[in-house]
Amino acid sequence: MKTANAKRREASGRVIYPFTAIVGQEQLLLALLLNAINPSLSGVLVRGEKGTAKSTAVRALADLLPDVEVVADCPFGCHPRDKGRMCLSCRERLSGRAELKTEQRKVQVINLPIGATEDRVVGSIDFEHALREGQKRIETGILASANRNILYVDEVNLLDDHIVDLLLDTAVTGINIIEREGISFAHPAEFALVGTMNPEEGELRPQLLDRFGLCVSIESIPDAESRVMVIKRREEFDSDPPGFSQKWARRQESLRTRIRRARELLPRTFIPEKTRAFIAQICLLNQVDGHRADIYIEKTAKTIAAFNHRLVPTLEDLSQAAALVLPHRSRRTDLPKKTLEDFHRMLAEELAREEGHSSERQRSDDEDSSPVQVDADQMVTDEDSEFEEGDGASSSKATGDTSDLNAPDSAARLEPGTDSEMLGNQGEVDGQRCRDRLFGVGETFRVPPLLLDRDRNVRKKSGRRMPTKTLRKTGRYVRSTAERRNDDLAFDATIRAAAPHQKNRVRRDVAIAIEESDIREKVREMKAGSLMLFVVDASGSMGTRLMTETKAAMISLLLDAYQKRDKVALVTFKGDSAEVLLPPTNSIDLAKKLLEDLPAGGKTPLGHGLLKAHELLINHLRRDSQTTPLMVLISDGEANVGIRHDRTYEGPGYSALLDELFEIAKMIREDKRIKTLVIDTEEKRFSVFRNASTSPSMAQRVARSMGASYCKIEDFRAGGLVRAVKEQVH
Amino acid sequence: MRSSKLNFPFTAIVGQEKMKLALVLNAINPKLSGVLIRGEKGTAKSTAVRSLAVLLPNLHVVKDCPFHCDPYDIHKMCFECREKVRQNVNLEAEERQTRVINLPVNATEDRVVGTLDLEHAIKRGEKRFEPGVLADANRGILYVDEVNLLDDHIVDVLLDSAAMGVNSIEREGVSYTHPAEFILVGTMNPEEGELRPQLLDRFGLCVNIEGISDAEQRVEVVKRWVAFEEDPDAFIKEWQTAEADLRTKIVHAREILPEVEISDEVLNKIAQISIEIGVDGHRADIIMMKTAKTVAALHQRPVVTFEDLEESADMALQHRVRRKPFEDIVLDRERIASVLRQNVSVTK
Repeated sequence: MKTANAKRREASGRVIYPFTAIVGQEQLLLALLLNAINPSLSGVLVRGEKGTAKSTAVRALADLLPDVEVVADCPFGCHPRDKGRMCLSCRERLSGRAELKTEQRKVQVINLPIGATEDRVVGSIDFEHALREGQKRIETGILASANRNILYVDEVNLLDDHIVDLLLDTAVTGINIIEREGISFAHPAEFALVGTMNPEEGELRPQLLDRFGLCVSIESIPDAESRVMVIKRREEFDSDPPGFSQKWARRQESLRTRIRRARELLPRTFIPEKTRAFIAQICLLNQVDGHRADIYIEKTAKTIAAFNHRLVPTLEDLSQAAALVLPHRSRRTDLPKKTLEDFHRMLAEELAREEGHSSERQRSDDEDSSPVQVDADQMVTDEDSEFEEGDGASSSKATGDTSDLNAPDSAARLEPGTDSEMLGNQGEVDGQRCRDRLFGVGETFRVPPLLLDRDRNVRKKSGRRMPTKTLRKTGRYVRSTAERRNDDLAFDATIRAAAPHQKNRVRRDVAIAIEESDIREKVREMKAGSLMLFVVDASGSMGTRLMTETKAAMISLLLDAYQKRDKVALVTFKGDSAEVLLPPTNSIDLAKKLLEDLPAGGKTPLGHGLLKAHELLINHLRRDSQTTPLMVLISDGEANVGIRHDRTYEGPGYSALLDELFEIAKMIREDKRIKTLVIDTEEKRFSVFRNASTSPSMAQRVARSMGASYCKIEDFRAGGLVRAVKEQVH
Repeated sequence: MRSSKLNFPFTAIVGQEKMKLALVLNAINPKLSGVLIRGEKGTAKSTAVRSLAVLLPNLHVVKDCPFHCDPYDIHKMCFECREKVRQNVNLEAEERQTRVINLPVNATEDRVVGTLDLEHAIKRGEKRFEPGVLADANRGILYVDEVNLLDDHIVDVLLDSAAMGVNSIEREGVSYTHPAEFILVGTMNPEEGELRPQLLDRFGLCVNIEGISDAEQRVEVVKRWVAFEEDPDAFIKEWQTAEADLRTKIVHAREILPEVEISDEVLNKIAQISIEIGVDGHRADIIMMKTAKTVAALHQRPVVTFEDLEESADMALQHRVRRKPFEDIVLDRERIASVLRQNVSVTK
């Protein structure tokens, strides 16, 4: 049976850019190769900017993958001897003493398209067969093809939520269970998950993140010479793809050989008991959740060793493994990735120095073989290097001895120093520029649930804020309807509707005769996200403490938005204008970064800010009329710059400024699609000068004329937001 | 297939040289992966795109193939055509003008990627695929007006096809794949919201245009337009030679493009410009190189000069510059020029 992917590759019939011809990106290439050698590493997540050969590398990997032995006629490609992981039919045949025919086939890269429906992913009933023969048969889905292969998801962060749930479910158990449309079926589905993503487009859920064994972040190459190489090779490939692959064929072949040898060697690799202490040390330092990280570091280090023709991983192998396994598991969010890498390096260096005088010879060996050069030219030469079993073993014995003594010490020494350095840096960044100040981010907190009403509107977007009906052909199939809307046929319901009438109908070539009146369609449901627009006062009146607290409040809201799959947008105002800092996006990460870098200073053009925000929302609603945007204004409301430049607003003119402001606010109130919330950042020491009940603060007055919910920034922490939103909804 | 409506001649468009250049370059070299035109309403964006198609040399296509496969290139054929080749069935070829396919902003996903007709399937027990916009656009120009207003999931689909050159549809366990290679031309008005950076990056070139501020030229615009409206046939005839000249130029440029050479010095400068300006990824470099080559081909030069690079750099970089809070998205032409100048002095 041909898998869908094989068919597709045939259909497209194009030449793939050779793996060995990719310039630089050693870590990415290494991570992919390791998965080709050892499938139990469960895949790679590739994070990086656009245009950095992410997808190219994954697609190129397909050409290098080794052969595996499979049951010849099994749609799941079962292992012919591993009874525990067989599908039902293979197992029955095996226990029935039937001879299982086997064959060799390549490990494949199975593509999971972003738009794939649930049926296509898990499999469903084969309706063609059902109609012609009147029999039930399973049409297997992508997960079936992915068994014992690599499942590749391009732009994995854009995958619909319910598909992610399916993937997670299967990844945990290694079994795909189909329980739908009157069929019940289970089959093995163990795969390495390879995903690429651009963090600018939004982050991944932590559970999904953890499923990826390794994680690589890549950037473009900063060095001019390599960049030229990139351009040259690409052009050469584009102008003559077959010729180009021909040219690289020898390198591809030798890399394939190297992978095959590494696979043979892998079962014999081992980690000495004492080296495990080092691994544990790294994991502790990184504050990882659970023990998956430890296990993966060990597995990865072994695979790297095998790749380099060694039986025992060296220190360098270990720290390379750590760099691949830890980035997405470390909870040290206070430290940037670079610093962590330095930690590992320093730890390793420290250990290496200790062990240095123990064996002079061993260090020279390290220099020969330790850096895993995935550079194409290197690979060819490396292949000829000798087998260094004995040396490797002695080196790690030395490692084990010293790690016990040194590792805890060095870890303790490193931590506090770097922490304080971090804070220092943050305070200084942008210090000089236009005398704006940059404020740190206060402690974040959990936002009380901010649920909007479930509604009856039909939506196209997905998210998690509200359950909603959708007309798109993705989303969970909840029930069927006889109403015709979008040709999204519900096969099971249609058959059921047709069944009672079969006796009286004329059948032509089909087992079941179906008429117009039997057709049922699927009603699907998905959770819709909304848009959260932050309108942030970045003027001078937002003092240090306030700005810090404001940022904390916003980052907490952002976190909430992230979990609900909302879009966020950011408008700030200061000086004499407002600016859209971030157009509506799914990337909470980007929003967070922008916020952290947000300088404050100057006057308060509140009117500009509101106008800009309104304009942005109107534009967004024009494109997507189905979201309910929530506008969050964070300000003390003390506007002092008017809209019109030809007017003075000083002294007696001040009332004109207020009139203007309230007019804009009214305009926003009149647009019923927009919900608003004002977070008042007025400092307490000012509010004591007036009677809170009789004279409201400026922000409060703005909120009133905008018809917005209102809360003080202090209350926000204490759950005032829930009350605020509830008031607004009812 | 010629539309009954006559097109305003490409060469008769007044001004907007950058836009015209970008379009012509794409006509010469489809690998430039499209143009994004950012600008106000009423700046001849749509006119230019439509009239470009008339300029393009004719295509050879398989007759009756919904994807207009090339009868001489088996690698890029749809499944049906390839099967026919394999069974030695003769593919009937025909010559046809390049088409401009319009993707309306409110297009549904079904309309874009095509549909598997499940109703037909369930009644007759056989599969039937109804091609969508992407099938139509194969080997043509896909024109998206107001691309920034497009629905997000449609944008995702577009991106995917544009990157792979293949469109795949999956419904109810049925999947279908066909080639979808097209020149993507998008227009947008930045006032109505920006495009996602991911999609922005997929457009090879980007030009900013605005209304012409020179009074004389404005008069010329009106004059020509009135002349065209009154008697399109006569107007087109009047511009026939200019059109023919440009067409020949494009054909020649296409011919010499594969032979155009680019020196290491120029390549080095491309890399330096990218580093200096600060762009994400390597796509900018590659596009800059391809554009410079195409510009050289347009000027009938076998070797890329620094002038060619200068002419192409801003189109490739415009939309790829990294942006920080409270900084304008303006591309610093002076910096590009200075990198280029360094270059010249070094080589002398």
